[in-house]
Amino acid sequence: MKRIGLPSLSFALVMLYLFLPVAATVLYSLATEWNSTVLPEGLTLKWFAELYGDPRFLQAFGRSFVLSFLTTVVAVVIIVPAVFSIVVYAPRMEKLVQLFVMLTYAVPGVIMAVGLIRTYSGNGIPMIVITAGAYLVGLLPYLYQGTRNSLLALHARSLMEAAELLGASRWQAFVRIIVPNIMSGIFVSALLSFSILFGEFVLINILVGGRYETLQLYLYNKLSASGHVASAITVTYFVLMAIITSLIVRFTRRSFARKEVS
Amino acid sequence: MSYVQIEHMSKTFHGQHVLKQLDLAIEKGELVTLLGPSGCGKSTLLRILSGLTAPDTGKIYIDGKDVTDVSPKNREIGMVFQSYALFPNLTVSQNIAFGLEMNKVPKADIRLRVQEMIELVGLAGKEQNYPRELSGGQQQRVALARSLVTRPKVLLLDEPLSALDAQIRKNLQKQLRTIQRELNMTTVLVTHDQEEAMAVSDRIYIMNGGRIVQHGSPHEIYTQPHSEFVARFIGNYNVLSAEQLNQIAPDLSIREVAERFAIRPETFREQPVTAEDIRLTGKIAHVSMLGNVTRYELNIGDVSVLVDTLHMSFESEQTGTTKTLYLCPKDVIPLYDTIA
Repeated sequence: MKRIGLPSLSFALVMLYLFLPVAATVLYSLATEWNSTVLPEGLTLKWFAELYGDPRFLQAFGRSFVLSFLTTVVAVVIIVPAVFSIVVYAPRMEKLVQLFVMLTYAVPGVIMAVGLIRTYSGNGIPMIVITAGAYLVGLLPYLYQGTRNSLLALHARSLMEAAELLGASRWQAFVRIIVPNIMSGIFVSALLSFSILFGEFVLINILVGGRYETLQLYLYNKLSASGHVASAITVTYFVLMAIITSLIVRFTRRSFARKEVS
Repeated sequence: MSYVQIEHMSKTFHGQHVLKQLDLAIEKGELVTLLGPSGCGKSTLLRILSGLTAPDTGKIYIDGKDVTDVSPKNREIGMVFQSYALFPNLTVSQNIAFGLEMNKVPKADIRLRVQEMIELVGLAGKEQNYPRELSGGQQQRVALARSLVTRPKVLLLDEPLSALDAQIRKNLQKQLRTIQRELNMTTVLVTHDQEEAMAVSDRIYIMNGGRIVQHGSPHEIYTQPHSEFVARFIGNYNVLSAEQLNQIAPDLSIREVAERFAIRPETFREQPVTAEDIRLTGKIAHVSMLGNVTRYELNIGDVSVLVDTLHMSFESEQTGTTKTLYLCPKDVIPLYDTIA
């Protein structure tokens, strides 16, 4: 008989620790009743039906999607060219950027939210815009790292120089040569950014609250109403994250494979 | 005025003088090599010529026009980079066509000129391949075609063959020279490989410490080095002080007065050729076989000299045996280090 080694055993235990709550959540979202038994008394899809039939859920999902998507797009459009300029033309400034990146981790969400309220409340700018602005800064580390790594792997500087000597303007060289080559890196960072924003709760709850109910706020409100529906929301969220993660893995593999060939 | 003229060029990086008041002239259709050790400023000079780096002082004229402040994109210069810098997202033909598209050449002309270039560099059949699917030598030829297709006034080559195997490098050197002559392309090659410089250049500029220390045809440079640096860099010259020379060849009468003299290892002969040849006798301290050449380290008194002879005999001579050689006084070159 094959002996089970310590590494496999510890791996199995870690997997159990990680996936037992997920499995329980999935089961709870499908359970008719699950109070005094080891396994649910019966299985049903009625919680999902109830959830997807609730216009508030669909609106919350839509709001989360729009907020995360738009913020990510704006962040990519602003941050990627900025990181490109710094990495390629002003590499000495990278230390400063790295400091900014660290600073975004240094401020806890609650303190940031209070600070933002004190600074911006009452000056006419809608709080949702302030939230999106704060999100944008928060995405800096993810987009900076992803874009920087792609640019360094590409030897972006010599490609830009080659393109310029062939008659391209810097903008043409950036759009025609650099962007297509770092696209998979940008896409992976953007997906990561999107998923982080999609799950964000602290800032949106304090700054905007019920005025712009996102999925996380909806989930928070549902927790006290029905555990089954809350589980169904969580499962839906997990599925979305699983799709995003698999896309990230796929794109990362593809860019690795490309590097290996070259 | 020459076709390409560089006047009083200086460049400083972080307080370090990389180029010092440098002057250089290149005629139309010439292949000139900038040769020197790493850090001598040759790549900086090439980048300044291309417009990618701005000089601190000095002027650059191409075809009679002052281009010192012209941007790289408008300078009409082609450049092949050491790393090839091919665009990974474009195929071979798209890479070659890129410069023409940027210059808004009509589509039909682009197709024709790209095809011409592909045939010129011998890459027919590879048009639809991506750079990653090509060998190093093929990538280098794409880079060459890409820089030539726009018909630049000057072609700059920044150590273009240094990443390739010896055999491929030799073939590409030949091909490069053929294409350059066929197109009568004014070309500047940067290299640290003296053999490559000798093989392909019309003229060589030897650089050291941000200055040009000597220039001339490969033959002139090789046979008449002016300084110890050039003598040592260009070949395995024996560089001897006047005293050492007197020790190994007391009968030698040299007209020039110099502190040091250079003797090429291959000028020592096993038989006298002229009546003036003087005889030297020494002990073999070391023998190395370099294929077609046998290299001896010969101790003549206290002085050690390198001697190269064509590898003719079947039996090699042993360390410790005495060897007699002849040297023609004309082959003893005085070195004047202060003269550049």
